[in-house]
Amino acid sequence: MLENYIIHIAILICIYTIFSVSYNVALGYTGLITLAHVALYGIGAYTSALLTRAGYPFISGILLAGVVAAIFGFFLVYTTRKLKGDYLAMATLGFAFVAYSIEINWTGLTRGALGLPGIVKPALFGFRIGSNVEMLLFVFIVAVISIAIMWRIVRSGFGRLMEATRDDETGVEVLGKNAFAIKAKAMMISAFFAGIAGSLFAHYISYIDPGTFYLTEIILLLTIVIVGGAASMRGSIIGAVLVVVVGDVLRLFDLPSVLIGPSRHIIYAVLLLCVLLYRPRGILGRVDLI
Amino acid sequence: MAIIGQLFVNGLIAGSIYALVASGFSLIYATNRFLHLAHGTTVAVGAYLLFALFSVLGIPFFVSALVAIILTGLFGLLMNRAIYSPLRKRKASNIVLLIASLALLSLTENIIMLIAGPGVKSIGWLPTKTGIHIGGAIITPLQIAIIVISVVLMILLYLFMKKTKLGRDMRAVADNKELASIAGINPIRISDYSFMIGSAIAGVAGILIGLEQNLFPTMGVMLIIKGFTGAVIGGMTSVPGAVVGSYIVGVIENLGILWLPSGYKDAIAFALLFVFILWKPTGLFGFNKGVKDA
Amino acid sequence: MLIKNVFKRFGGVKALQGCSLEIEKGKITALIGPNGSGKSTLFNAISALITKDRGKIELEGEDISRMVGYKIAKKGISRTFQEVRLFKHLTIRDHLQIAISDDESLIKSFLVFDGISDKRIQEVLDRVHLDKPLGTFVTDLSYGQRKLLDLAIAIAKPHTLLMLDEPVAGVNPRLRKVIKEVLVRLSKEGETLLIIEHDMNFVMDLADVVYVLDEGRVIAHGKPKTIQKNKKVLDAYLGE
Repeated sequence: MLENYIIHIAILICIYTIFSVSYNVALGYTGLITLAHVALYGIGAYTSALLTRAGYPFISGILLAGVVAAIFGFFLVYTTRKLKGDYLAMATLGFAFVAYSIEINWTGLTRGALGLPGIVKPALFGFRIGSNVEMLLFVFIVAVISIAIMWRIVRSGFGRLMEATRDDETGVEVLGKNAFAIKAKAMMISAFFAGIAGSLFAHYISYIDPGTFYLTEIILLLTIVIVGGAASMRGSIIGAVLVVVVGDVLRLFDLPSVLIGPSRHIIYAVLLLCVLLYRPRGILGRVDLI
Repeated sequence: MAIIGQLFVNGLIAGSIYALVASGFSLIYATNRFLHLAHGTTVAVGAYLLFALFSVLGIPFFVSALVAIILTGLFGLLMNRAIYSPLRKRKASNIVLLIASLALLSLTENIIMLIAGPGVKSIGWLPTKTGIHIGGAIITPLQIAIIVISVVLMILLYLFMKKTKLGRDMRAVADNKELASIAGINPIRISDYSFMIGSAIAGVAGILIGLEQNLFPTMGVMLIIKGFTGAVIGGMTSVPGAVVGSYIVGVIENLGILWLPSGYKDAIAFALLFVFILWKPTGLFGFNKGVKDA
Repeated sequence: MLIKNVFKRFGGVKALQGCSLEIEKGKITALIGPNGSGKSTLFNAISALITKDRGKIELEGEDISRMVGYKIAKKGISRTFQEVRLFKHLTIRDHLQIAISDDESLIKSFLVFDGISDKRIQEVLDRVHLDKPLGTFVTDLSYGQRKLLDLAIAIAKPHTLLMLDEPVAGVNPRLRKVIKEVLVRLSKEGETLLIIEHDMNFVMDLADVVYVLDEGRVIAHGKPKTIQKNKKVLDAYLGE
């Protein structure tokens, strides 16, 4: 029983690690203010779930989840390219709300609030994942590969350009680099891995509905990244472990499930507020939030 | 034709509620210059306080309503003092303040859920009355009261801002914070007052919603999106603009049902929000120029 | 390089009113004038950080008036700012890596490890006499060191024209001499320089040609010696 529970937590940690590291690539490393990341994660989950429900293989589902999320990521950067500050933040939050209301209203495609049940477990090369141990192994491998790729990007010359763009966009342009292109590419990488994380989540939980990708999830993601610290990959990994464990530890007590949900969100919100107030750079953050 | 009349009336009712939300939000934005999204759950706090005082404790209605409004105002003050003021003292960026407001929104929402439970609640003060027919549209006395109360409140707010010293100080801070503080106006005091007054108005909105509809813990999110959309259309820093913008949101989303399935009602407001932020961030009346650099 | 008839107004303020100048290859051209005469505005118009109302700018015969900022920089204009502009979370090495490399490709930088050696970066730093470890964060530099790094970045970035906005503003006399020597040596190596300077004396024995700006117009240009005696110039400065 406890063993199953630990495996469940470990799987969630792997998924949230990919998700939060990808968010940090946009927010922390490139300074892209976006509150739409959960929507991109949801778009990935829906893409993958719908494709596999239509009979396409899992591998095409997960990859297209990343690609479709990346396309929406580009759309987001492109449409908001002239906005700054509050207005940029609200436009991206508006994007998240629009995505939510499409998911809930386009019942012909998404079944709306009923959600999509029976999403199959991942299958690769004719081998279908059955147990949670196999699932954990699989998401762990995907997480390691994803983080290795993102780590390599932020440490490369391009990563240096991303950080320079965050610090001073005009300064980057004066040195002959196309700041918009840098932001668009960084956002697409970030969105791609958010889509991958969304796909993994859908195929693990096997059920998604629009509420899964709404405000509470935005707070959860912000908590992980801000607790861990902006522009730190290790920070986001630690943040994901910490926040998922702290959030789920309540289940060990014999609380009625009506109380568990709200209590968990209260913990996240309080944690987030405390970090913002008392340790604005989080555990390992290298930069202040813009 | 009758249907259009009815939808228009529905739009006015919704718009009145949004206007109450938006005017408080815009008052706070104008004097503090950051997005206080937790203003949405302030409305829910007002509604649930009325529920607790009137429906649970059985305190007479008008006393309950008054106490609920005052407590909601104090709740706004508490958020400002406990969270926003320390953050601003540390010169936190607007994005940090916005994230803090989202955290406050989630925190409040879930505290309500923990105490009152996730299910819907109703105040049940007024029995549902049959509506009056006005030019083919049906409207209940309560709905008329909602429109009247919010219009009267808006006029009072307008007079307050124009005629009283505190109101004029607030407008001075909204106009130019540095100049106002050189002129001896204490911006911290103004900030506190704007949170108190804005939140108290949100409390009124909560009570009116509570009388007409059911309460549920997450009701604030949708309300702040609508109110915020109204404020954006009206130009963010202008309270009268926010009121006009809110009526526009209410009417458009209700008339939109003529062409779209009713489930898309909220999506219409979201789309309006997105379109306005992208193409007309200064709002219809062109207030708050330079928002792109804000 | 040719600048023809550039106009720019900010609201009611006419910052540039038909500014024209010609910058000769291999020479040091100085742009002087009292505060608010439009010198920095002209720099910003050239590098397209602001959009000019009208006017034409040519670089080596090519019209660059309608190009966006980063393309103009790529075409070969290096510049500094009056207020030193550095990336506050990056190191000296990072800055020069970005400046020297003109590669923005994600895939290439993903596959290939850094191409620019520390030796090359050190050479640039030696040219401006900045003696600091490459891993130093720019926030740990003094004002003068930041000024030197800014100059090093502009020099290191591939360019045909070097535009410097007040290279010695606010620096101590010793550093002033160092920077002057650096500029003289650059010029000897055949660099084309356009320098904004508020202080007339600094440019008088440095520049080959001086343009004097007042209220957004060129009121005089020529050799430093002749400019010094020009009555209009003296009026502009004394009437300040």
